[in-house]
Amino acid sequence: MWLDGEGAGFVKPILRAVGLAKVYENGDVKTPALQGVDLEVAPGEFTAVAGPSGSGKSTLLHLLGCLDRPTSGETWLGQQRTDQLDDFARARLRLHEIGFVFQAYNLIPVLTALENAAFVLELRGVPKKVRHEKAMAALEALGIADLAHRRPNQLSGGQQQRVAVARALAAEPRVVLADEPTANLDSKTGLALIELMKRLNAERGMTFLFSTHDPRLLEHVNRIVRLEDGRVVADERVGAA
Amino acid sequence: MWALAWRNVWRHKTRSLVAAGAVAAVVLFTLVFFGFVTATTNGMFELLTSESGHLQVIGARAREVQDFDARLIRDAQQVEAALLRELPAVRLRRVLEVPALISGETRARGALIVGVAQDEVLAQRFAQEHVAAGRLPSPGSWDEIALGAALARALQVELGDPVYVFAPGTEGWGAAAYTLVGLLAFPQTAYEIQAAYLSLEGAQELAAPSAVSRLEVHLVPERGVVTDAVIEDAKARAAAALGPAVRVETWREASPDTAAMLDLMDPAMAVFSLLIFVLAGLLVVNTIYLGLVERIREFGVIIAVGADRWRVMRMVLAESLVLVAAGTAVGLLTGGLLLVSWADGFRMPGLDEVLAEAGLPAVLYPAVTPAQVAVTVGFAVATALMAALWPAWVAGRLEPVEAMRHVA
Repeated sequence: MWLDGEGAGFVKPILRAVGLAKVYENGDVKTPALQGVDLEVAPGEFTAVAGPSGSGKSTLLHLLGCLDRPTSGETWLGQQRTDQLDDFARARLRLHEIGFVFQAYNLIPVLTALENAAFVLELRGVPKKVRHEKAMAALEALGIADLAHRRPNQLSGGQQQRVAVARALAAEPRVVLADEPTANLDSKTGLALIELMKRLNAERGMTFLFSTHDPRLLEHVNRIVRLEDGRVVADERVGAA
Repeated sequence: MWALAWRNVWRHKTRSLVAAGAVAAVVLFTLVFFGFVTATTNGMFELLTSESGHLQVIGARAREVQDFDARLIRDAQQVEAALLRELPAVRLRRVLEVPALISGETRARGALIVGVAQDEVLAQRFAQEHVAAGRLPSPGSWDEIALGAALARALQVELGDPVYVFAPGTEGWGAAAYTLVGLLAFPQTAYEIQAAYLSLEGAQELAAPSAVSRLEVHLVPERGVVTDAVIEDAKARAAAALGPAVRVETWREASPDTAAMLDLMDPAMAVFSLLIFVLAGLLVVNTIYLGLVERIREFGVIIAVGADRWRVMRMVLAESLVLVAAGTAVGLLTGGLLLVSWADGFRMPGLDEVLAEAGLPAVLYPAVTPAQVAVTVGFAVATALMAALWPAWVAGRLEPVEAMRHVA
């Protein structure tokens, strides 16, 4: 727990991992991906999980995002312990509390940018008019409102990733988890996307936790959690730009 | 969900068109087949009842005994009068059948002498359908006879020739000479070669004065067709009015084999259609499953962003329903247009005699009932659901992380 900015009291973490371990088994071969990770992320933080390939960044995000189950340890979202929930409860949490941005964009090719951005809201059962308004607002915030009616195959990589971010943002989740969101983008576009996410974090107070192995992006975050071989080797608070 | 399903279905147009086309073909085929089954059933019913009536009044022991005398209704006029008092609006055909020996100048053979007196409408219909040459014996005539054309050929007699009939052991003259006034054609050759028609009075004088073998009752519907319920009601009234001296039978009881066959046609057709739908369903399974395999990553993302397993299963089912609905709509439309185009009757060229021999009408009037359309659509919906069950189950069990790593 941290003291809040005003020093008025303790802030409860929105994401928490306690002794988190994950071992992938393939036949007799066991591959440890995480080995006893302890981590707390406070609301409104803009945190990067850094480390080389295979260090366990994606696995950590998947476990915290209720996409996978740990071999041992605990995961928490706010006051809710999530690693013991059943599939339906975890799906509900992902739908209502967490926004995801994936490395490969993962847009639905038959939907337009607007429909993709509104997709999570559609799953929530939000009426069409409302969800399109929210999705359009998210696209506008990301500067791609004029591409709203294009399909993914008519967009560049950077534009597709912005739509993916818009999909996460339109649903107004408590936390956005982004797994290497800039990995498929050139450095300029990647940097622009991080700046954009940083701005949304500052304007909306939305919590961002993203993984990256690109050292240039780390200059723009508040906090860097470094992983190596499935362990946290450093947890640095830095002065973001 | 439906819009997404529609777009997903048409991602692979050729594959989806083949599957939807198969469904359309099966729906079309089923609809047309149902139409012809209905037409055949109605046609056979019409043929059967126009030949033998909706009801028959026979001697009380006619079904149990073989003896000619014992099978007769002796007081025919009284029975007829009582019947007409209860059912005044019916048309009657009075029939006396006499087994006899018949001969021309040179040849002889066994025959069935049929004395007939009937309502004018029935007589006209009978003449239209069966008189191949000449005419029927005049009502009340004692010396005119019409023979089945095959029987006339067997006896080597022609119109105007004398024909001799011997019915020994009966209560009439037992023998008489007639002039051949007509040749009759019947679809069943076996009947044509033994049928010899007299007036009822002529037959009664020959073998059984005042008696008949049966009264055929032809109901006249006030509107529409004569239903089984109407027939059963008429039977009950006739039986009550005529008492135990005679037996009243519906056409079903008089021709149980034919009735059973007609009753089986719809269920048999339904089973047959179901089998064809199963084959079409395999194509739908293939289309939906391939669509799933190619989009495993996509389903992984959909699950990752919050869709639960039931939601994913519903999405797959929706795609199958959309695909089958498109095919069903096309099938219903084309099938409906075909049936409408045959509204004035459908005749298979060159098959009239074959159909007639089988007791089927030469001209069919295909039509479908709402129930048959509902069964067709029901089969299509069931096909869509069954075809999607397995792919939907597979999709619902995907683990999002593994699915998003999947490489097609």
